[in-house]
Amino acid sequence: MTPVIETRALSKRYGSHTALHDLDLVVDPGTVFGLVGPNGAGKTTTLRLLLDIIRPSSGTVRVLGTDPRAGGAALRRRIGFVPGELRLDGRISGRALLTHLAEISGPVAPGAIDALAERLGLELGRPVRTLSKGNKQKIGLVQAFMHRPPLLVLDEPTSGLDPLVQREFLTMVREARDDGQTVLLSSHVLSEIQQAADEVVVLAQGRIVARGSVESLRSASVRRLRAVVVGASADALTAALEGVPSATDIAVTPAPSADAVHVAATVRGEVDAVVRTLMTGRLLDLTVEEPDLEESILDLYTRTEAER
Amino acid sequence: MTRVEVRRGPLPITRRLLGEGFRGLIGWGLGLTAVALLYLPLFPSMQTPELQGLLDSLPPELIRTLGYENITSGSGYAQSTFFGLMGFVLLTIAGVSWAGEVTGGAEESGRLELTLAHGVGRTQYAMEAALAVLIKLCLLGALAWAVVWAIDSPAQLELDPGNLLAVVMSWVGLGLFSATAGFAGGALSGRRIVAVGAGAGVAVAGYALQAVANNSEDLEGLRAFSPYAWAFGEAPLAQGWDLPGLAALWLGSAALVAVGTVALSRRDILG
Repeated sequence: MTPVIETRALSKRYGSHTALHDLDLVVDPGTVFGLVGPNGAGKTTTLRLLLDIIRPSSGTVRVLGTDPRAGGAALRRRIGFVPGELRLDGRISGRALLTHLAEISGPVAPGAIDALAERLGLELGRPVRTLSKGNKQKIGLVQAFMHRPPLLVLDEPTSGLDPLVQREFLTMVREARDDGQTVLLSSHVLSEIQQAADEVVVLAQGRIVARGSVESLRSASVRRLRAVVVGASADALTAALEGVPSATDIAVTPAPSADAVHVAATVRGEVDAVVRTLMTGRLLDLTVEEPDLEESILDLYTRTEAER
Repeated sequence: MTRVEVRRGPLPITRRLLGEGFRGLIGWGLGLTAVALLYLPLFPSMQTPELQGLLDSLPPELIRTLGYENITSGSGYAQSTFFGLMGFVLLTIAGVSWAGEVTGGAEESGRLELTLAHGVGRTQYAMEAALAVLIKLCLLGALAWAVVWAIDSPAQLELDPGNLLAVVMSWVGLGLFSATAGFAGGALSGRRIVAVGAGAGVAVAGYALQAVANNSEDLEGLRAFSPYAWAFGEAPLAQGWDLPGLAALWLGSAALVAVGTVALSRRDILG
């Protein structure tokens, strides 16, 4: 099976600054692939390299079996792209803009634009410059999906969309995958794409710091845990928690009231061992905060650096 | 809700730029018409001995710098007040700003990225964008010919329609040359400000060079480097077609478009 996207040692340098370091990426047909990382991690650089908007400093790229530069306009007709920072200005109406873009992209089936616009709740008659950020983003989505391209490259596609439209978008992505289309999407928030992506690569400072399924990344990530426990002494609990390898930054403080203690800790990976330890007392309250991606990435990054 | 219908035709980029620039084009057309209507009908009232006396009293350097040597003839007057002065300024500003818009402006606004992410090549974009600028300048040229010709008889200018066409071609060629210098600057840099600077710089330098050359026999050679002199040095409105001058303007413009096109197809598009 030929990959839809394949990069080898792909690098992009701007003067002395390296935006992308030796990226090796393989995206198989019919999958949804997530590119996650904080701002400035190299996500947009990667996606723009695939579209031949910018060119690699070194390394190779193949998209749908072709080098993007050699593939040119014919290749880009087979790609649907939402730019990372979609700015639309001008008096032109959404309808006129999409008609123009349909003319210069792959063949668009009759009614496809209207169907997508209706689905996303996009009004086509208004001048694009008067549209809200969310509505501009909807135009971006319509123009990427309208010609049912074999490959969709979506840079922060959900930015500015309200939750209902985000859900509709995720449905569109799943439908595209079920139709055999391949989707590459980027986000700086893992939770935004965790429901859609089959596989995720985490980028930080231009390098891949983790790759795998969303689940495996989630289990490797860092969580903040807070609990209130009754019936256990602060000292005993501290000692017990310090014996759990996955727990760090342990703080156990007696509560002002009765014999309760407040526990705070950072947990790497599974929370099981920590929670079991807390159960030596009676658990009054427990909060496990959603992994903060920035923090997880920094954590992964420092670990990757340490392994070097 | 009306259905969106997509019909594919030739030159999608040129058509979009012309469609979106239509209002602006009308504005520039109105401006040029107003300038022609303001200056040209004054010609009969200026045919007085007092004016000749005034001109004689001015320092000859000033007369030559302003290009007012032949202002007492109809063709000299139309040349000095319209084609060589306000018309030149307006056409240059229009052409350079359009060139800046389709190159650096499109790039800075992200519009170019979106266009090039579709089935449009860099070369195709550059050529179609330059064509849109050319078409708009030619439309202004056609309008200027029609307006001046309409004023000719009431203003007693006694212009020759063929020579009027010749000067319009030189005038449009001059505007085009500055515009394509801006086009090349914008395509090389991706910045609108560079495009406008390059286009305006070429126009101002061209004007200044011929003005200096007009005042000094030693510096007459400078005229060879002035697009303004290529356009009007042989007084096409009085003398008719100046083919070498036209060739320099139009072929030079073509070369600048080629430079811009090659530059755009070789470099990264800025975000």
